[in-house]
Amino acid sequence: MSDARFTLVGVRPATERLPTVKAPWVKGKPILSCVILAGIIFCCAFAELIMTKDPTYLDLMNYSKPPGSEFLFGTDTLGRDMFSMIWYGGRISLFIGIAAAAISTVIAVIFGSLSGLAPQWLDTLLMRLTEILLSIPNLLLVVFLQALLGKPNTFSIALVIGLTSWVSIAKVVRTEVRQIRNSEYVVASRCMGGGFFHILWRHLTPNFVSSIMFMVVMNVRSAIVAESTLSFMGIGLPIEIISWGSMLSLSEKAILTKSWWILLIPGLFLVVTLLCMTEIGNYLRKSVNRSQSNL
Amino acid sequence: MIQKNPFLYYGKKLLSFCLSVFVLSVLVFYIARLAPGDPLMSYYGERVEKMSVAEKEWARDKLGLNDPIYVQYVRWLQNAFRGDFGISFKYKQNVLTVIGARIGNTLLLGGTGFVLMFVLALGLGILCAWFEDRWPDRVICRLGTVISCIPEFWLSLMLIMVFAVMLRWLPSSGAYSIGKAHDVGDRIRHLILPLSIVVINHLWYYAYMIRNKLLEEVRADYVLLARSKGLNKRQILFRHCLRGILPSYFSIMAISVPHVLGGTYIIETVFSYPGIGTLSYESARFHDYNLLMILCMISGVVVIFCNILSQIINEQIDPRIKAQEVVETTEVKRA
Repeated sequence: MSDARFTLVGVRPATERLPTVKAPWVKGKPILSCVILAGIIFCCAFAELIMTKDPTYLDLMNYSKPPGSEFLFGTDTLGRDMFSMIWYGGRISLFIGIAAAAISTVIAVIFGSLSGLAPQWLDTLLMRLTEILLSIPNLLLVVFLQALLGKPNTFSIALVIGLTSWVSIAKVVRTEVRQIRNSEYVVASRCMGGGFFHILWRHLTPNFVSSIMFMVVMNVRSAIVAESTLSFMGIGLPIEIISWGSMLSLSEKAILTKSWWILLIPGLFLVVTLLCMTEIGNYLRKSVNRSQSNL
Repeated sequence: MIQKNPFLYYGKKLLSFCLSVFVLSVLVFYIARLAPGDPLMSYYGERVEKMSVAEKEWARDKLGLNDPIYVQYVRWLQNAFRGDFGISFKYKQNVLTVIGARIGNTLLLGGTGFVLMFVLALGLGILCAWFEDRWPDRVICRLGTVISCIPEFWLSLMLIMVFAVMLRWLPSSGAYSIGKAHDVGDRIRHLILPLSIVVINHLWYYAYMIRNKLLEEVRADYVLLARSKGLNKRQILFRHCLRGILPSYFSIMAISVPHVLGGTYIIETVFSYPGIGTLSYESARFHDYNLLMILCMISGVVVIFCNILSQIINEQIDPRIKAQEVVETTEVKRA
């Protein structure tokens, strides 16, 4: 046996080519959004350091003042300084967003995996139930829950929003769990006597965490929107608890007096924050699609 | 999965529809009555403050609010089957009359918005897919992402501020000017702002979905084949790719009805537009039970029907769509 037939003929020796320019690590990552969002969060967290006035003080001499050197963002119709309110109120808006998303995620994960692990009939029943829940207008559910919880405050709003926004994540969790529930490691864990929460935490969560990450970020976003919408409509935070939403609830008076800054500034902060979160969320979701178009 | 016996298939769907509606009615009935609050407030208004305990008791008895909830429910159900949904506490009229006066407005706003959105999203999505990664696509994508981040109530406020208050071009609220209820031009002028909000707010979401679905589609092998046969870009895109994505688009549009409906509620409130959105918001806040019940049933029936419709579309027309995909693409918008 000679190795002659295994030697290739006419192979041109090629030098190994390494990419000369490394792609910068920031490529495709939402750096700008992260920076802006971090900035907003930082400023809100340390609001006391940058506030120029007391945000709760009603300066009745200077109500509805346009932005100027003394009141950087102007004052609202009650004479409060908008610049200070933005940072001070942002804290509550962001807190509600994060807390509500956390609540809804926990409910969604538990409900979704229960439904995913349950026998077929129970699974169908639970999924039907979520569909029925979805068919009650969200606004009405919020009104009911608010009435149950009594006078609205920061926590009750976060709870209400969390309780009304878990269904879609639960559906995704359920689908993911159904796909992996019969895999060997889950069965093995069960046979060794692993409880529901053990299996959930050790075996299921690592599998679906990536697919719901995007939705969780989006939930923070929609919770912030929900808070501001509710406060604006007068069923969310009362006007004395400052948040970006409750700042906008003065809009009616602002429109009548054409005080555009009362509408524009909190709204801009809201939109920029939401935009940054969307960018980050989209980055998390982005499935790398590099194939060529056949068209 | 196409079943052999169509009667069985649609019978099952019908059964699950009826069951869902029934459960929904029980749920809403109980939630409404368990939420604290005094329904007499909406019936007697301010006068409640002056009523004695005995008078209140008599009033509650008259309205049938003292019975256990299940007794009330059974009574409501029996009457409902005869077509009698009770009277509205606030308007002291049959609820159907109250709703009848307003539902047209909502249908006009929501329906026109929905159709416009449907067509525009399709156009925009195709445009983006056509110019994939070139400047029109990039500009539209950027713009769309920004616009989709704007909360609808804030956008409404800004538009009111600019077009109604500063420029005075369009009216800021209502469905028609006083005394001009039958003036079509006036109605249209009142419809422009709310309608544009409905469309703008949801447009990008669907356009983006179409774009992505189309881009997925053009990477399929049959497009390469069609290309090599000598078909041009337009023919392939419109005749083949579009046909491939339309079923899933229809089913997603069907699922999205509740989002549009919910959005319409908020927009109606901002514009004080006399539709059923403002009505149901009022009735929920002031415990106008019968009115609330019928409104929830109407929207619930529409939503459940659309859900089942989309299931049927999925299963009958395009079995490739998995439930998973539909779920993934719809949750973003739920606010």
